[in-house]
Amino acid sequence: MMNKLLSPAKTEVLFMGNEAIARGALEAGVSVISGYPGTPSSEVIERLSEVARERNLYVEWSTNEKVALEVAAAASFSGLRSMCVMKQNGVNVASDFLLHVASSGTRGGIVLVECEDPGALSSVNEGESRYFARMLEVPLLEPANFQEAKDLTKWAFELSEKIRNVVILRSVTRMSHASGNVICGKLPQKFRTARFISDGSVMDPLRGPVVSTPVVIKHDLQQKKLETAAELFEKSPFNGYYGPKRPELLIITSSACFLYSREAIEMLGLQKRVGILKLSCTWPLSVKLLKKNLRLTDKIMIVEEVLPFLEENVKVAAIGMLKDIGIKTFYGKMDKTFPSVGELNPEIVVTALGKIMKVKPKSLPAGYSREIKKIAPKIPPREQTFCPGCPHRVSFWNINTALKLDGREGIVCGDIGCYAMASLWPAIGFHTVRTLHSMGSGTGLASGFAKLSVFGLDKPVMAVCGDSTFYHAVIPALINAHHNQADITFIVLDNAGTAMTGFQPHPGINESAVGEPLPSVEIAEICKAIGAKVAVTDPFDLETTSKILTSFMAESGSLKVLIMKQACALSPEKKGKKQYQMKINEELCLGDNCGCNRLCTRIFRCPALTWDRIKKKAVIDEVICAGCGVCYSICPQKAITRTEVTQ
Amino acid sequence: MGSKTKAGSQEFLKKHVLDKGLCTGCGACVNLCPYQVIYNDRTVQLHKCDLDDGKCYSFCPRTPADLAALRKILFESGDLTPEIGAVKGYYFAQAVDPALRITAQHGATVTALMELALAEGLIDAAIVSSRSRELLQSGVILNDKDAIRKNAGSKFTVSPTVAAFNQMVTHEGGKVGVVATPCQALALAKMKLKSLPEDNAKINQLNLVIGLYCGWTLSAEKYTKLLREKNIVAESIKGMDIPAGKNVLEIFTNDGVRTISLEEVQHCIRDSCNYCIDSTAEYADVSVGSARFAGEWEDVRNWNQLIVRTARGKELVDLAIQKGILELREAPLESLNELKAAAAGKKKKALKNIVQKSGSTKNLLYLDDRDPVVLKYLGVEKKIRKRR
Repeated sequence: MMNKLLSPAKTEVLFMGNEAIARGALEAGVSVISGYPGTPSSEVIERLSEVARERNLYVEWSTNEKVALEVAAAASFSGLRSMCVMKQNGVNVASDFLLHVASSGTRGGIVLVECEDPGALSSVNEGESRYFARMLEVPLLEPANFQEAKDLTKWAFELSEKIRNVVILRSVTRMSHASGNVICGKLPQKFRTARFISDGSVMDPLRGPVVSTPVVIKHDLQQKKLETAAELFEKSPFNGYYGPKRPELLIITSSACFLYSREAIEMLGLQKRVGILKLSCTWPLSVKLLKKNLRLTDKIMIVEEVLPFLEENVKVAAIGMLKDIGIKTFYGKMDKTFPSVGELNPEIVVTALGKIMKVKPKSLPAGYSREIKKIAPKIPPREQTFCPGCPHRVSFWNINTALKLDGREGIVCGDIGCYAMASLWPAIGFHTVRTLHSMGSGTGLASGFAKLSVFGLDKPVMAVCGDSTFYHAVIPALINAHHNQADITFIVLDNAGTAMTGFQPHPGINESAVGEPLPSVEIAEICKAIGAKVAVTDPFDLETTSKILTSFMAESGSLKVLIMKQACALSPEKKGKKQYQMKINEELCLGDNCGCNRLCTRIFRCPALTWDRIKKKAVIDEVICAGCGVCYSICPQKAITRTEVTQ
Repeated sequence: MGSKTKAGSQEFLKKHVLDKGLCTGCGACVNLCPYQVIYNDRTVQLHKCDLDDGKCYSFCPRTPADLAALRKILFESGDLTPEIGAVKGYYFAQAVDPALRITAQHGATVTALMELALAEGLIDAAIVSSRSRELLQSGVILNDKDAIRKNAGSKFTVSPTVAAFNQMVTHEGGKVGVVATPCQALALAKMKLKSLPEDNAKINQLNLVIGLYCGWTLSAEKYTKLLREKNIVAESIKGMDIPAGKNVLEIFTNDGVRTISLEEVQHCIRDSCNYCIDSTAEYADVSVGSARFAGEWEDVRNWNQLIVRTARGKELVDLAIQKGILELREAPLESLNELKAAAAGKKKKALKNIVQKSGSTKNLLYLDDRDPVVLKYLGVEKKIRKRR
């Protein structure tokens, strides 16, 4: 079956937002795609990797976002079109290079796709990357529907090539992960060849060396590029007004908020009273376009998620044209019409708009709320937890054992990955992890904590990180720890892949984004080279693992690394295969009596272990049990038995 | 959903025993469940248990209990003395076998009695402490007399012997004898006082408790450090003793005898020992110590003091004499008086320490001022309050 990303022109295809972006890049004739996985962005690269051969693409999961942007930029410098994809946090990582490449300028069209996560559904922050566009002076595009996600992506390459600079395309969870119908355009027949020419003058954008100097002159040039972009935005079909000729209120919005606003107008029946100025080119703003639309009415409502980026920019522009447009009343974040945190949804917009327009939304059908109230308490509360068979649960079990045996209330610094849940839901990490920040920060923090003993903080310090995180940002922190003699125990939770985002390969995996063989870079060897004492264990071996950990903690004066190696239960090689068939011997199970008190279901809490309230015995949920066999070692009564499954 | 966080027995144990520095390391709360373990002679709580009526709290020798009632159950009231508990008989004793006396401590009475109990089928297995690595000890269960000899001798650090009882005694194991320090003997006695129906069978298997006199035990951690400072290799230690009147700890190593002044050893003593009122293992069937009173040390060094406390203890000692395993000597009265005075002194000192810790004579931590023995040594005028 043909990959739907390769659908012929003029066909209408149901695309997820991220697929629409991928298709747009293909239609633009992209050659190089790089990035680092992160929700909600990962599918863009995943889908493109599936068509790499057919479309002559080089697709790479890079070590981190900064490297990814550098890889993409090299392609642009060589005349190819390239795309770099990441989540919002990634832009922070890439921003150092982004500042410089925005100053040096680019050649082939290069688009930085960043997918943001308002409300932090899959993040530990709801950081805004729109401000990077303003701060680093590059254009910002935001698709407002699925067709536009494709079309705007394609146009972003053209814009980038026209102004010879990076263009940021921003999506959000509800755009990236929702789906809609998209009419496909043509896929180019010809592929570009790479040529890097650098023998011209430093001021020659196409033939000179690619540098950001002379700084002031290049900076001036960069700003002129933005002015060009603003001119193009004025006439761009991606920006437009939808509504009555003389609206009472004008909504200015972008991205998924356009859909929420449109829905709110419909729900309130305000089609004849409220208009929408949809902006898909949100930085720099086209002053002319704004002037034309701000004249329509005196009441302006700005609908956007998280910080008042659009609101600030519109207000600043409005001040400059006050003589022409007159005094306006603005509704947005600054007057608290909308919160400056979390996601928006149609309901929030309906409430805000209804209040201003003094219209009550149509009430829900009679009995609807009553039914909801009846059903709601019956929905069992669910917390995030580690999957059945997850090595992280067992790793934290071992860490807890070692911490308690050590008895000095050691500090554990967390990091980014599934195992971050140990910080978000302390009970599932057995209350071990104490900090959680950006990728690699746990190790840097540990390095710092360990130097505080002279100030009276004399506790053993540990840091945990996953395998992908290790390559991404941990190595400098680890070198720092060893060089500065920070006495830490560093634990790698190596589950053989970038598990949280869907098993994208990383430098420790001997396979590329498109499944071709690559040499792997061994974590243990890197740690040894840094000068650490290194041990490798299987966390499922509880006794050995906690023994090594306690001895590492007791040892002072050096960097110790314990690599806990056990593949994720959902990894392709494990998924669906049980190593053990688990069973409960009900005669031996002590249940909630003294002597056990439901250790397996109350403390260990593997979702596959459930509690029969009537029998007062533990039960194995055969359907979700991964057959890892660890609960056999946990049960004090040996009431959980395991039989090896012959494959 | 999620783990409940209500306070249970385990939390009380933490608050009132572990955090207060009262934990004796006896192991009574260990191996009952997966929540407590002994590590480096510390009692460690690995996970939270929220049961209200846990065995850990009930069995701990440092949680409140009606000790007067316990004595009433275990001993004949006529035998009870305030200083050293029940006394049916008080002797100097010595194993007849000289080879045994060389291996074991002083008169080797404990080893001789345990061997006999095993040989005569009074018990099927013996639980004694065993020094596993360096100075850390664990309880082991033994079924033959050679193994008992291998583990003979005083260790001076605490052994979680009761943990071994909790873990190793199974229905198939038959009757069990335990060599116990005072805190361990008390824990075992408390099991009898408050055992749950499902544990009755187990505690009923306990047929013999041979108590050891105990002034204090050493913290393995601190003691190891001290030995390291003195360049004494822990693995080379064959035995230890505190000779009467010399104020030193003698350490018998492969390279000969080393001595450390007791002053230096003092700071290695487990904190909890300062709050213990029992120096003669009052809750045992028989109690054994060195014969350090009345007489020249070198004369009595190879003898033990022996207190027979229960009918079962008497039966065993009588059998030992009859079989020619144990030699008894009538102990001089001064010796008994000296022992009682020393025991009373320890009680007074411990109670003083307890009052100092709690800040009030009304709060005696794990002890009860309605217990006449406690009241006697508390050193304050107080009417015995009516029992509730």
